[in-house]
Amino acid sequence: MTSISTGPQTGVTLYSFTNAWLNRKFELDGLLKEVARRGMGPNIEIIGFQNFREFPDVSDKFAEEFKVMMAEAGLNATSCAINSDRFLKPGQQPIDDASLIEYHKRQLRSAKKMGFGLVRYQFALPVELLPQIAPYAEELDIRMGVEVHAPMWAGHPAVQAYGEMYDKLDTPYLGWIPDFGGTASRIPESMLNAARAAGAKESLIDKLKEIWLEQGMSHEKAGRLREWALAEGHEPVHIQAASLAFFILSHNDPKSWAALVNRTIHIHGKFYGMDEDGREEAIDYETILPLFRDGGFTGTLVSEWEGHAYLPDDGFEQVEAHQAMCRRIFAGG
Amino acid sequence: MLPVERIIGEEGLSASADGLRLAMRLPWYRSLPFSIVEIEQVRIDGQPVDLSDAKVEFDGTVWPLSQLGEQTNSFWFVRDSAFLHMPGQTAAPGSEHEVALSMFISPPYIPGMKRANTQTQTLRVA
Repeated sequence: MTSISTGPQTGVTLYSFTNAWLNRKFELDGLLKEVARRGMGPNIEIIGFQNFREFPDVSDKFAEEFKVMMAEAGLNATSCAINSDRFLKPGQQPIDDASLIEYHKRQLRSAKKMGFGLVRYQFALPVELLPQIAPYAEELDIRMGVEVHAPMWAGHPAVQAYGEMYDKLDTPYLGWIPDFGGTASRIPESMLNAARAAGAKESLIDKLKEIWLEQGMSHEKAGRLREWALAEGHEPVHIQAASLAFFILSHNDPKSWAALVNRTIHIHGKFYGMDEDGREEAIDYETILPLFRDGGFTGTLVSEWEGHAYLPDDGFEQVEAHQAMCRRIFAGG
Repeated sequence: MLPVERIIGEEGLSASADGLRLAMRLPWYRSLPFSIVEIEQVRIDGQPVDLSDAKVEFDGTVWPLSQLGEQTNSFWFVRDSAFLHMPGQTAAPGSEHEVALSMFISPPYIPGMKRANTQTQTLRVA
């Protein structure tokens, strides 16, 4: 059978269904079947540390069970998200380089064993350690995509440093995984409404919107808001609810993704809410997706609903609407 | 309360031979090492519980609460409860008590983020 490249694929990350998972509404096999039944696959992403009890060291037995589950559901193990957990002791120095490298290798082995074609990794991995990890990924034959997630974006110094290392190592096993939260046009109104519902005052929301537009690292901006808000008498719980926006969204040019298209191996279609016209409320997909469509991207965009950070919904309907939008734009609509 | 904010586990409060046992859930979307979890306080019917001899049990392993910060290679699976053992506490099976739990988590891949979580719930002792 000849495989025909048909352009970008749509899929889903099980992260979208965090609420149903945490509420124990589904076991893993049931959740996979639900995703398949709703036609959201076949390509899916799974966060190793969310859905696999044995992560980061998955046994051969579980890996086989997982492959059977996926085959029965008719789904493809496209991407496994791994983590660069470097700060294992709060307030102390990060773990040493050798431990961090081994931590990545453990997760790569587990992902490969379960049949995943690529892993999502994170910028918390210092770029100078890549030469020690990339050959291992090549040996295992599994690709690694670093997630360009807010506050990162194509023009961020960390992304540029990775790009230079990618040029130097020159291997198809390393690439980018854009997460569109890095180029949000605004904070989703649904998120602000959740903060209001939790009791945050309008003056806090206004200050949040103002600081969110400024430059800086997430925790610096969160610190700026906190300092101002405490002095103004806002409740710590409201400040914490409002600060979420700094860690998951930042305000950069949606067109900036053009610089990363060539090495993009997978995409996180981050979203929060779909409006009645089938558009995302905070991220300009109409501008972003054509860059990948026209730039020759043929991997998978997984819909990633993150509204569970502030809403109790199970995420299924949101994902259906989001996938419909992505298919429309990928088809040229 | 959102699922990701829940810290009192579905299994609730139970009496054991040496005290009380409280089910706890990890307030995050993914499993995390126990070393980044800090149990701040438990109050039962408004009274703070002395946690100096408390222990944490997860998946058949038990650590002194005071050693939780050392557990960098033991992961709290995000769907499962861990159990806080509070020696010396007594409550009659079937009786109801207001339990308030507070904990901090510092996700190990997000520098500078420390989240505070609190939950208060009336529980019947099993």
